[in-house]
Amino acid sequence: MWTWFYKLASPPSVYAAAGALAPWFLATAAVAIVYGLVDGLVFAPPDYQQGDAFRIVYVHAPSAWMSLFSYTSMALAGAIALVWRIKIGHAVAAASAPIGASFTLLALVTGSLWGKPMWGTYWAWDPRLTSELILLFLYFGVMSLRSAFEDPARGDRAAALLGIVGLVNVPIIHFSVTWWNSLHQGATVAKIGKPAMSLSMLWPLLAMLLGFMLFYGAVLCMRLQGEVLNRERQAKWVREAIKS
Amino acid sequence: MSAAFWSMGGYARYVWPCMALAGVVLAWNLWSARAYRDAARQRARRALAMSPGETA
Amino acid sequence: MNVGVFEAFTLVVRRELCLSFRRPEQLLQPLVFFLIVTTLFPLGLSLQLSLLRDMSPGVLWVAALLSSLLSLDALFKGDADDGTLEQLALSGQGLMVIVVAKTCAHWLVTGAALVLVSPVVGTALGIPVAAFATMMLSLGVGTLTLSWLGAIGAGLTVGLKRGNVLLSLIVLPLAMPLLIFGAGATDRAISGTNAAGALYFLAALCVFTCTLAPFAATAALRITLE
Repeated sequence: MWTWFYKLASPPSVYAAAGALAPWFLATAAVAIVYGLVDGLVFAPPDYQQGDAFRIVYVHAPSAWMSLFSYTSMALAGAIALVWRIKIGHAVAAASAPIGASFTLLALVTGSLWGKPMWGTYWAWDPRLTSELILLFLYFGVMSLRSAFEDPARGDRAAALLGIVGLVNVPIIHFSVTWWNSLHQGATVAKIGKPAMSLSMLWPLLAMLLGFMLFYGAVLCMRLQGEVLNRERQAKWVREAIKS
Repeated sequence: MSAAFWSMGGYARYVWPCMALAGVVLAWNLWSARAYRDAARQRARRALAMSPGETA
Repeated sequence: MNVGVFEAFTLVVRRELCLSFRRPEQLLQPLVFFLIVTTLFPLGLSLQLSLLRDMSPGVLWVAALLSSLLSLDALFKGDADDGTLEQLALSGQGLMVIVVAKTCAHWLVTGAALVLVSPVVGTALGIPVAAFATMMLSLGVGTLTLSWLGAIGAGLTVGLKRGNVLLSLIVLPLAMPLLIFGAGATDRAISGTNAAGALYFLAALCVFTCTLAPFAATAALRITLE
């Protein structure tokens, strides 16, 4: 029953599929991102409270979303690899980590740039920013653990386990940071009202979100090809695959 | 493009760096992923050239 | 020889305690570190006791986390290097019993010891005596949780040459909720408000971690030792 799945998840077919999918992901991502940027920066009306500064949301929110999404996919891929011994999961996890870390960094920096006009300071210990920062540390931990082992297979499994532990902790961290913030934060941070977004603002945001997801797919496919090759250098199929 | 668009209602200092940074991060992702894949291909090719007869 | 699970547990704990009492300097080092770090803060910040009191929960907790981390590196290392761990794993008892026992022993010699020393540090930092009970309770629960988080990290880094820094990098982000609730509880006790909420959260975290971490730490050791 599961043989088709194993065949699908076998390195040669993943390598081929990733190579075939990457350009499509990239092309659709480009369309969605260009549409989102033009619509979001030019046509969407300015926010009645934040003026044009709210337009930062069009890169901030998608990158923050992607930071969580790629951490989750990294941890789940690692878990699948650990539990069912499907090795391709480790390759997916390893490919996902640097992308997710870069999106986390982008979310932090754009959040901080957004904070300056809104809060009057580049950095406030806002619960979401703080959780994002801890998420970045979690990424660093997983990535350095993977590369710390001389035996790559061992590093893969150790990183997968740490990823799962981190995934369990992410909601706890977010909750505790929110609790802590409600305890300490005075009126220094003006609470940004969250009015229901009008559709003209929402569409470009959704387009950017989709575009970032597709972009992640494209980059993941490219990295995945590299990871698979690095793991399978001795295999017979590699000879045919890299001939072109 | 009008000057009003580029000034972003006075928030140009914050909006445009964000967009630029997003561009940098996306470009870095593409570039590094491509470099990583190409390096892996190169390594695999070299490994094959070293042992042409062996196919495990 | 057939040994029950509980008996195996007590045997390993007794062995660990015996080993650490035989080398008292190892036992004292984290405590001295704890004292030194908490001394550094007043020197670097201010001599005003009122100001210190405001900072004291954070100072106390950061110092406790760091000194507890300091000794975590050695949790499995010695026994993994000389093969004792593999022998214990082969002894017919599951590896998990040994992991649980070693972690509990680690908490007894570091966490519980920190709790006992904390009134001294608390006095130096200007924490009122009325807050000591909450402070010690939160430290006890928090360091137990940290020992468990650290056991996962120590299991993951046991085979590595420079695992110490990596261990901190792995464990500290996971320990941030502890710091928040622990320091929060202490802070509330100092200001005389009800600390029960933070303590409950801390206890919930502890129960949660103590339930799941043994599995994770055992799996980690399996990965690095096999």
